[in-house]
Amino acid sequence: MARKIRARQAEEQALDLTPMLDVTFILLIFFIVTAQFIKLPGVDINRVEAENDAGVAPLGIILAIDENSHVYIDRERIDINEVEFTIRELRESNPRGEIVLQVDNNSEAGVLDQVMQAVVGADPEAQVNVSTELD
Amino acid sequence: MRGRTRKAEESEVDLTPMLDIVFILLIFFIVTATFIKENAIDLTPPPPAPPDQPVNPVPTILIRITEDSMVRVDGRLSDIGSVRAAIERRIAEDPESAVLVQAHPLARNSLVIMIVDQARSAGVEGVGFTVDATE
Repeated sequence: MARKIRARQAEEQALDLTPMLDVTFILLIFFIVTAQFIKLPGVDINRVEAENDAGVAPLGIILAIDENSHVYIDRERIDINEVEFTIRELRESNPRGEIVLQVDNNSEAGVLDQVMQAVVGADPEAQVNVSTELD
Repeated sequence: MRGRTRKAEESEVDLTPMLDIVFILLIFFIVTATFIKENAIDLTPPPPAPPDQPVNPVPTILIRITEDSMVRVDGRLSDIGSVRAAIERRIAEDPESAVLVQAHPLARNSLVIMIVDQARSAGVEGVGFTVDATE
């Protein structure tokens, strides 16, 4: 009799972890699926404050034009003539994300125009977003 | 009696190491999950008109930005603060008007983005941006 009671107590003490494991797996799979590794240009940009801006997500390709009008993608300086090719290449692994240009206040309009033409040339459907200061 | 309990214990797989690994993976993906958004203004160039359709020219407000960051609205010298008022005045005369921002290749991009933003604030739908090819 005493032995039976002890056995029952031991059973109750062993917690059933299966439901927690289920939930954890679902969370894990969710975060694996939604994980997106964005390649940031890695240069400091002074942005403009604008009224007609909106949050852009999900992000895909981020290009930067720094104050010396050099173009950066993924922490590397890219020649202006290779921007279109680079975007095409990146677009293959990320066909849906938005394209965002981080344009410095002091960069030249001529370079912005060339980069915009490269973006449209690489992906005519793409929206060209220019990053602005967070409100 | 004893033999049976030992068998039952051995047949139950210890899930703790797997749970540890799953938790570590879960935490990794939660931490690396990027829900970053970028504030951005839409600068997508308007699509080229289909060639077979007759083009009915829309009245255009031409805003030129010179090399030394002077702003001219339809030839009249203007200040960055009064561009919006100037556009609104023109819109009141002709609500169909579009805005074309024509910048010198060496003009600063902060001006370009600010003027596009102000044109949007004034209620203009079609805002184009080109670079002055004459110089």
